[in-house]
Amino acid sequence: MNSEILYLFVIPALAGTAIFFFGNRAPLFREGIAVLGSAITFLLSLHIAVCTIHGEVLSLFQEELRVDALSGLVAGLVAFIGLIAVIYSVPYMRKEVEKGVILPGRLRSYYGWTMLFLSSMLWATTTNNIIMLWVLIEGTTLASVILVAFYWNRNALEAGYKYAMLLTVGITFALFGCILLYSGASPHIPSALDPLKITEIAKISGKIPKSVLLLSLALLLAGFGTKSGIIPFHTWLPDAHAEAPTPISALLSGVMIKVGVYALIRTVTVFYPVYPESIKLFVVVLGVLTMLVGIFMALMQDDLKRLLAYHSVSQMGYILVGLGLGTYMGIYGGLFHLLNHTLFKALLFLCVGAISSVAGTRLIHSLGGLGSKMPMTALCFFVGALAMGGIPLFNGFMSKLTIFLACAKAEMMWATVLAIITSLLTLFCLLHAGYRVFMGKAEDVTNQANENIKEVSPLMWGGMVVLALLCFVIGVYPQMVFPILDESARAISAMTAHP
Amino acid sequence: MEESVKLISTLSLSLIITSYFVIELRNLRYSAYAYILQALLMCTLFVIFARQNPGLYYWALTAFVTKVVIIPYLLLRYIRRTTDHEFRPFIGYLGSIVLISIIVLVLYRVTHQYIEFLAPTPSAMKEPFRTNLAVSLTIFIMGLYCILSRRDAIKTVHGLLVLENGVHLSLISLTPLLRETAIIGIVTDVVVAAYLLLYIIFGVFKEFGSTDTFQLKGLRW
Repeated sequence: MNSEILYLFVIPALAGTAIFFFGNRAPLFREGIAVLGSAITFLLSLHIAVCTIHGEVLSLFQEELRVDALSGLVAGLVAFIGLIAVIYSVPYMRKEVEKGVILPGRLRSYYGWTMLFLSSMLWATTTNNIIMLWVLIEGTTLASVILVAFYWNRNALEAGYKYAMLLTVGITFALFGCILLYSGASPHIPSALDPLKITEIAKISGKIPKSVLLLSLALLLAGFGTKSGIIPFHTWLPDAHAEAPTPISALLSGVMIKVGVYALIRTVTVFYPVYPESIKLFVVVLGVLTMLVGIFMALMQDDLKRLLAYHSVSQMGYILVGLGLGTYMGIYGGLFHLLNHTLFKALLFLCVGAISSVAGTRLIHSLGGLGSKMPMTALCFFVGALAMGGIPLFNGFMSKLTIFLACAKAEMMWATVLAIITSLLTLFCLLHAGYRVFMGKAEDVTNQANENIKEVSPLMWGGMVVLALLCFVIGVYPQMVFPILDESARAISAMTAHP
Repeated sequence: MEESVKLISTLSLSLIITSYFVIELRNLRYSAYAYILQALLMCTLFVIFARQNPGLYYWALTAFVTKVVIIPYLLLRYIRRTTDHEFRPFIGYLGSIVLISIIVLVLYRVTHQYIEFLAPTPSAMKEPFRTNLAVSLTIFIMGLYCILSRRDAIKTVHGLLVLENGVHLSLISLTPLLRETAIIGIVTDVVVAAYLLLYIIFGVFKEFGSTDTFQLKGLRW
């Protein structure tokens, strides 16, 4: 019995429910329960990740819930960023109440939904049932709709409507894909075994008719690809990530789209043993296009959060390219970049949240000279920028290099060249934005708030510093994450090793 | 047996006709009634299939509670709180009827003819599953057409519900032995998604004074 898997998503769900029921009695209660719940969840995820690093597979309810190294990695990231986002939320949301942006009573809804959102993401990473995986991925959307539209103004409502509609339609394609896959697999799975289990489907994927396999692949790519922000299904992402409260943006960009990638990995890797070259090429081309569209759109932005959101689209392209190659090196690079992107993108969003919290705006042309007033935020922002730009000594360098090498090894030099160009443009875009915000002069002098700006509270920059340190430490010593990434890449290979 | 196959085929095809009404009726309340009729037909279909596969009785009951009771209640409630006149779509009535008819005819014919590309098992290629699968895919695409071609936000929810019905209908042919937990999960997601969408659309109506999605342009680029 590995009941810790159950506690992993039940604890945040209980915390969320308790906040909904009793959160209006005392403000400290909802914040305390949210922090406590996410802290316990993080410790549990750490324990699970440590177990899975050594190749152990935890399971419960006859493998209905199953955690291997890949699940352990994604669950660990969700819980870690969840804890940082919840702690960051305490001063951030209090300030929003002080500024009159939201009413104090709405904080109950904020913390309640945040905890349910975390729970749904964690549950999705632990299920081994293909239909439940779909249910839970849709559950992550539903649990976060109110958070995206939280400010309930014109932009937030527009973002909320697009987010709910596009993701629900997109994910319905994935349901069709999951049903086809299950249906195609069930005649080949012995009656004693459960054809709904992803691990069982993977074993017999070679026996599923080719036409059904291809149709499932297309539907799953469209469905879970929408969730992951892959073009042309990415249009919800910049709106939702920009309009949600910043801690939620960090969760959406840092981990939710990774849970979408996780679903893609779990289902699409089923096809690896029967992977035709043309599909590999298609996925890599899709990844490269995602990179390019994301970066060109990012270059046009004046809103810092939209800029980061488009960078998320671009960086998802790298992950897709790595995973799409289907080689050990490609999968390793894709997973490594997934981990790194979680860290530096959450970091950058939290930095932008700190800026907008004190400056009252997130438009680049209205900001300037913040470096001397907000040194910790400036330092953390540049660490995040250098990491995402792929500069040596920061974590993004090693994962990007692995993907470049994997592409070159797969004789796709064109993909390597385009990925390097995208990386250079990413670096330019972020350093340019950082320079203008922290060292430049504001073009829009009407922003009087610039005069009284000071560094945010340690509860806010504390999480940023932890993430910045991790970006640097992993960059200097990438071997520290090798065991879990290696085991995760092997877990994917092991699932699909059967003819 | 042949009688039963004929009945199933007639019911399946009548689902396409009810989809027409859901999509093309300009009065949102009548459109919701057409949706209720479609849901009832679906439940009847589940019950007929359940005579061979008793597991589907559960599916029929779940579909009845969610699609005939809860979702229409939510739809009608929010239509009453906003407006029952659909905001004028950008494709005219006649144009839309012609376009959707072409889509339906081509799609149904192609999927019915070349079902082996879609059906994962030999049994799913035989009647009545063959017609069932072709109808489910046709309804799925009709729902998608509604979402893409309509300006009214509530009408897009109608489209989403038709699209979902298309997928749920395919479960008869593709996954008749699906476990109760999975069925509950699937339908709960649909109910919650419909509720949250309608809740946000109500917010949009209060803020913008209309449910016209063309007004939601503040976040372009």
